Amino acid sequence: MVFELNAALSEKLHILSAAAKYDVACTSSGVSRKSKKGELGAAEAAGICHSFAADGRCVSLLKILFTNECIFNCKYCINRASNDVPRTSFTPDEICQLTMEFYRRNYIEGLFLSSGVMQSPDYTMELICESLRKLRLEYKFNGYVHCKAIPGASPELVEMAGWYADRMSVNLELPTEAGLKELAPNKTRKNILTPMRQIQAGVAESRAVLGMKGGNQSAYWYTQKRLGKSLPGSTRDFNITTDTDNNKITDKNISITTNTDIVLNSGGGVLAQWNRNDTSRGFVPAGQSTQMIIGATGESDYQILSVTEALYQRFDLKRVFYSAFVNVNNDSSLVVNGGQPPLHREHRLYQADWLLRYYGFTAGEILSESRPFFNTYLDPKCDWALGHMEYFPVEINTASYNTLLRVPGIGTKSAGRIVNARKTGRLDFASLKKMGVVLKRAIYFITCNGRMMYDFLKVEEDYITRNLVSGETDVVKGFGDSITYKQLTLFDDFQLGHI
Amino acid sequence: MEKQIRIYQCENSPDGILSAVFEAGISGYGHNYIKIQPLAPGYIYNIELFSEYIKVETSPEKAENVLKTIDSNISHEAYFFVMSALLSEDADRGNVIYQFVTYGFTIGRDITKALQLDCVSRIFAIKRSVHNEAHFYKEFLRFQEVKKTPPVLMAKMEPKNRVLTLVTSHFEDRFNAEYFIIYDKSYKEASFHSADGNCVIRILTKEEEEKIDSLLDNNEKYADLWKVFFESIAVEERENYKLQRGNLALHYRKYMTEFMDNN
Repeated sequence: MVFELNAALSEKLHILSAAAKYDVACTSSGVSRKSKKGELGAAEAAGICHSFAADGRCVSLLKILFTNECIFNCKYCINRASNDVPRTSFTPDEICQLTMEFYRRNYIEGLFLSSGVMQSPDYTMELICESLRKLRLEYKFNGYVHCKAIPGASPELVEMAGWYADRMSVNLELPTEAGLKELAPNKTRKNILTPMRQIQAGVAESRAVLGMKGGNQSAYWYTQKRLGKSLPGSTRDFNITTDTDNNKITDKNISITTNTDIVLNSGGGVLAQWNRNDTSRGFVPAGQSTQMIIGATGESDYQILSVTEALYQRFDLKRVFYSAFVNVNNDSSLVVNGGQPPLHREHRLYQADWLLRYYGFTAGEILSESRPFFNTYLDPKCDWALGHMEYFPVEINTASYNTLLRVPGIGTKSAGRIVNARKTGRLDFASLKKMGVVLKRAIYFITCNGRMMYDFLKVEEDYITRNLVSGETDVVKGFGDSITYKQLTLFDDFQLGHI
Repeated sequence: MEKQIRIYQCENSPDGILSAVFEAGISGYGHNYIKIQPLAPGYIYNIELFSEYIKVETSPEKAENVLKTIDSNISHEAYFFVMSALLSEDADRGNVIYQFVTYGFTIGRDITKALQLDCVSRIFAIKRSVHNEAHFYKEFLRFQEVKKTPPVLMAKMEPKNRVLTLVTSHFEDRFNAEYFIIYDKSYKEASFHSADGNCVIRILTKEEEEKIDSLLDNNEKYADLWKVFFESIAVEERENYKLQRGNLALHYRKYMTEFMDNN
């Protein structure tokens, strides 16, 4: 192991940002905060991207590790203890200076601080806390801060970090407990879910005391509320939701039941440090997120999506991120897709994630035990619609907002515009186009004033499938090299046989 | 005989356009036969046959009057639509604003939702493009510290629409204790913000423009550090320049530290 203790700042920055780049949760959203006099920075609810790197991903935060030294030996990680890579650490002051100076030049929206585990989880978490304390109190930084809770760190330190940070995340790493045991032997589900539960309870308490300043609700929460379903984090058991029993997670491996003793304390009292901190920002006001590595172990898409749903429902997460597995250590024991990161699968998971959070779909509607993988050729919403032709066509001039949302090609914005515009007059196909409806997909599923756009359109599964697939640009866009072009057979390729 | 089209020609400024809207509105000539043409310097237009041209004097009072009436008689959202469209350089914005306001007085506050009407979807699109551009500059504007004591930050942009006010107010908030200058090359104006919170926007002289350009050399320690970070944060296995271009159009990169070569 090479230690470069006195590496120049630029060398350190190079090593510790390269070591952090596989982390995907680099958003700066979830909290809106005006500036304070004499302090630097503010935050916008929608988040602000500041650049886009060569991989096309947004650069919003200064995403760095405190140190890439690590006592853990997770198989998928470039910084694992057994790897021979240059190791270095920042000092808290270096992190503060970089954040402040980058922010002043409008390079970044804030700081994303993660870390390898140096000496012990508590030792590392203390260094993170010290960096954040300095940044907030000495350097007077009022911009966005995202920080990781190190699994195994003590609750006091997790709480302290939460008073300085806007968003916190604990990485779930792998969708199943078995996968975690195999690839990240030093981490356990319990170590991951305990701080997650603690943060959830803290956010709830801060929200109860401070109102909106203590953090807004997630998109998933608003969607569930609109549909009158059980709200995230409510004490009701996840398995007994108002919907069908599709929600039931039967597989023992994927169920997220915390065997920890943490009780969701509704009467407050989870946060012990109200008096020791500046509580004006609230506790983790932008909520928490997590991420999973996709394609390193053998889970099905259905398992992953069910875990996601459980995380939104039971842990009230703001976001779940998916990271297509990049085999940085060339470990042959890990499932890989011809050496390429499974980008297309990741893309489908994000599409499905949006359906859960904004469109009110359940995991069981999108996939099922008997149909556990996404359709390569059709996005999950089209795929669902084709399996439920009994709901279509939908009349644009009368259908409810929630019904419109189920139509492929109509999103949350265009559905809202349709509902508003109808108040002043009837709509036709030309006006739909102006409202941002993707007619290429929508025309098979809608009528305007009782008529379809073209008389020759058939409301018929095979016909629509054929047309959607030939116009499905995702295939052409080239997500990864794993797509093979071959003669399509409807029943095998689209798994439509059993619908 | 078909009724003649009346073309109101006005100064290429918010007040000019609003004055024309005022004159056209009180003329009672019929909105289907009215066009509004802002005359930008060097703007070349074809003289249309069978049209009557009317020159409109710019009057700040009339402009004010129009805005107040929109705010109180239609809605604040409609007022916001018009204000946003006035920042645009779309050659057709005069007509669109006039049509929108005319329909607005009939339909009332729901006008901003009636996207099926051509003038509404047009003004909506113009408003959106103005705010999108302002948002892009909030993201992509890059400051450089051009003076150490007191520290002064300076940035340069070249927008299509007149978004300097929108962009400045964003930075006024987050950089409230900084001295900063944002220079808009397209409209030859700049905003000057001082650490005590004062902020002015004004047109620059030729000398001032040259002075600003000479100070911006993109050559400082943190610019180099930022480039190091920008290079190392990308995942090679996921390299996707097409996606990068889709998210960050080339014309914004002109003054962005990470895409500029050192002099």
